[in-house]
Amino acid sequence: MDKKTKRNTPVMIVLVLLAALIIGGIAGYVVYLMSGSQKPAEEKAQGVVGRITDGWDDGISDDTDGSSQAKGGTRIPGYSAAYMNEGDMSLVLRVGNPPENTVGLIATVRLEDGTVLYESPVLKPGQGLEEIPLNQTLSKGEYNAQVYYQCVLLDDEHTPLNAAVSAFKLYVNQG
Amino acid sequence: MKTKKLITLALSVAMISAAFVTVSAATLTEEQQDGKTEVTARINGGVPDGITYEIIIPDVIDFGDLTQPDSNTDSYKIVDYSVTLEKVNGLDENTQQISVYVKDQNATPDGNQDFKIANKENSAITFKYDVYDTLVSEQDLPTFHSLNYNTMTKTKGFYLTGFTFEGQELKGTLAINQSQLYGRDILDIAGDYSGYMVFYSTVEDIT
Repeated sequence: MDKKTKRNTPVMIVLVLLAALIIGGIAGYVVYLMSGSQKPAEEKAQGVVGRITDGWDDGISDDTDGSSQAKGGTRIPGYSAAYMNEGDMSLVLRVGNPPENTVGLIATVRLEDGTVLYESPVLKPGQGLEEIPLNQTLSKGEYNAQVYYQCVLLDDEHTPLNAAVSAFKLYVNQG
Repeated sequence: MKTKKLITLALSVAMISAAFVTVSAATLTEEQQDGKTEVTARINGGVPDGITYEIIIPDVIDFGDLTQPDSNTDSYKIVDYSVTLEKVNGLDENTQQISVYVKDQNATPDGNQDFKIANKENSAITFKYDVYDTLVSEQDLPTFHSLNYNTMTKTKGFYLTGFTFEGQELKGTLAINQSQLYGRDILDIAGDYSGYMVFYSTVEDIT
């Protein structure tokens, strides 16, 4: 190996490494872009806001033959129980506004004693969350919890309508 | 030989680098995926009595125009409503039910329990109405007791019904006695009125 080649070898290694890093970076970025296909819905900053998505449904299968006609009134999701671990700052619970509705819903997840764990902005029909961020975590135990659904008109004032409460047991396990 | 080593080194670095960024990207995604995986895990494995359901409630009930009667006698205006268990999964209909309670938004067991509508301009002007858990015609009203004839002992409200199967519907009636308007200065009480009902649902054992 001549002197010139010897001198150029470190420079070549650096260049090759740099090229490799750039190629790797581009590949990673492409993967990242491809993975972010589910866009969050537009949401107003109000209280603690979670990942609200369009195309939400309550996940409850319908045993009817599908021929049922649209009914008046507002659909409200209900649950018997939810689980989380002590220290968790989020709760897996389908909270949202069924797509068949024609009004908005404001969902407040709270304990029976009034402790508010999460309050959503106005959810339009078809908007909701599958995992909600919590204002605070809870200690191990069993809690009487509820989602308070305030029905509102989809006008500028969000004129209030009747409301509904879906009560459930919240079990907090040791983290 | 040297060139071969360099190419091998370059390929290795490119692969490691790509893998690292992919994992980083996957970590971002994986937190979401994780959540979804946890949903499945928790729903399937962590909720032994995971009952989910959907009820339909009336978002608005409109009495329409109220009329001041000429004499202090009963003069009812009625309007029907319904509550439906639209969907339900996981309910043992032999031992469990979806119980529905109803109350005025301001009602408490220790305080005023009336269902009321209030003047939108002056909330101090209120009129009471009654809620029935069955369809009642105007002439039959005196022979039925409304839900609020009883005392509300629970913060949930007055017990309205218990659903056990999909599609089950409760039809009921609201009634306002316009005799409350009798003798009032119409200029004072004229205007729009509104009141809000709260429907409370929960899974309970059938007793």
